[in-house]
Amino acid sequence: MSAIRVDPAGQASGLESNLARVLQAGTYLSIALVAVGVVLLVAGGGSPLDPGPPFSLGTLVQDLAGGKPAGFLWLGILGIVATPGVRVFGALAGFWRRGERRMAAVALAIIAVVALGVFAGLMTG
Amino acid sequence: MLVGGVAAGAFGSLLGLGGGVLIVPLLTIGFGLPLREAVGVSLVCVIVTSSASASVYLQRRQANLRLGMVLELFTAIGAIAGGLVAFLIDERVLAALFAALLVYVAVTMVRARPAAVEDEAAPVASTAQPIASATATDELVVRRFPAGVAGSLGAGVISALLGIGGGIVKVPVMHLVMGVPLRVATATSNLMIGITASASAIVYLVRGGIDINAAGPTAVGVFVGATFGSRFGGKVEMRLLRVLFVGVLLFTAFEMARRAVGAS
Repeated sequence: MSAIRVDPAGQASGLESNLARVLQAGTYLSIALVAVGVVLLVAGGGSPLDPGPPFSLGTLVQDLAGGKPAGFLWLGILGIVATPGVRVFGALAGFWRRGERRMAAVALAIIAVVALGVFAGLMTG
Repeated sequence: MLVGGVAAGAFGSLLGLGGGVLIVPLLTIGFGLPLREAVGVSLVCVIVTSSASASVYLQRRQANLRLGMVLELFTAIGAIAGGLVAFLIDERVLAALFAALLVYVAVTMVRARPAAVEDEAAPVASTAQPIASATATDELVVRRFPAGVAGSLGAGVISALLGIGGGIVKVPVMHLVMGVPLRVATATSNLMIGITASASAIVYLVRGGIDINAAGPTAVGVFVGATFGSRFGGKVEMRLLRVLFVGVLLFTAFEMARRAVGAS
């Protein structure tokens, strides 16, 4: 594979615009959640230098319902980490709709590699 | 930590760095965090700056989505391998690697040519000749693709080990090795950094290597600082900033080297 196709320069295509919106929305929403968590942490007398609680899905829901800083911090950080992955899912759908099967396969391969990373992390952790 | 994050984000944005190169020393030397924990926090911050700037690069058509996605497949593989290896390596080795990275960045900044700025300002894909050719059908023809793949794998490993975006590897590989115009390479690298850092951050996350109390304020600070830096970048005397920054990098490299030999 030596040639990578580039759309004509100028206005962003629908796919690029949509992916840009995904990245923007994901970042702003996640940072807002983290900021709420930081405010709650400081307001509650906590310090960023105190070790935070580890991630747990069950605790996350409870912490969010109880308005605890850890819930907002974890949800925001998960959002930050997931945002580029959501962009790849969006690209997969976009390329598939356009009939660009090779690029759709690339997107699918990226998702598979990241999923493998989660699996490998859990297995070796 | 919030203020440090703002400073790292602003400096990173003004100097075209992802911020990881500043955040890791800030957290380890400034706040006494273990190096591996600082790397985990830094990866989160790098994703924030990458996602925010990549959205702009995609809108402006500066980032090449297809090239970026093909290469980020390999940076993701490298990042996961690096993320797994990072937990097996002694922190003193990581500190030594980081010190070497800081010296490399400092030397690169000193040697930066003004010509690069002209290339930065060129329209996307139109200045591809002679290092890369844009055909009539607007195809960007990249050369030495296998070398690009190898460079991407390496960038992924370095990103995961040291908590940086890896742009300092990706941009030269794409521009100098693959013949991609510098402006496109910079924007595409920024797009790729998100998935690269995300892949390694996931490994750190599932292995308990990300502390939310440290990551929260630093990420918010970096976001605010990067936004501020990108808005007011034009009003700053860049040459003075560069000299100051090189000094900071060399001092930080010295401190990291001391950690590597167990002096602090």
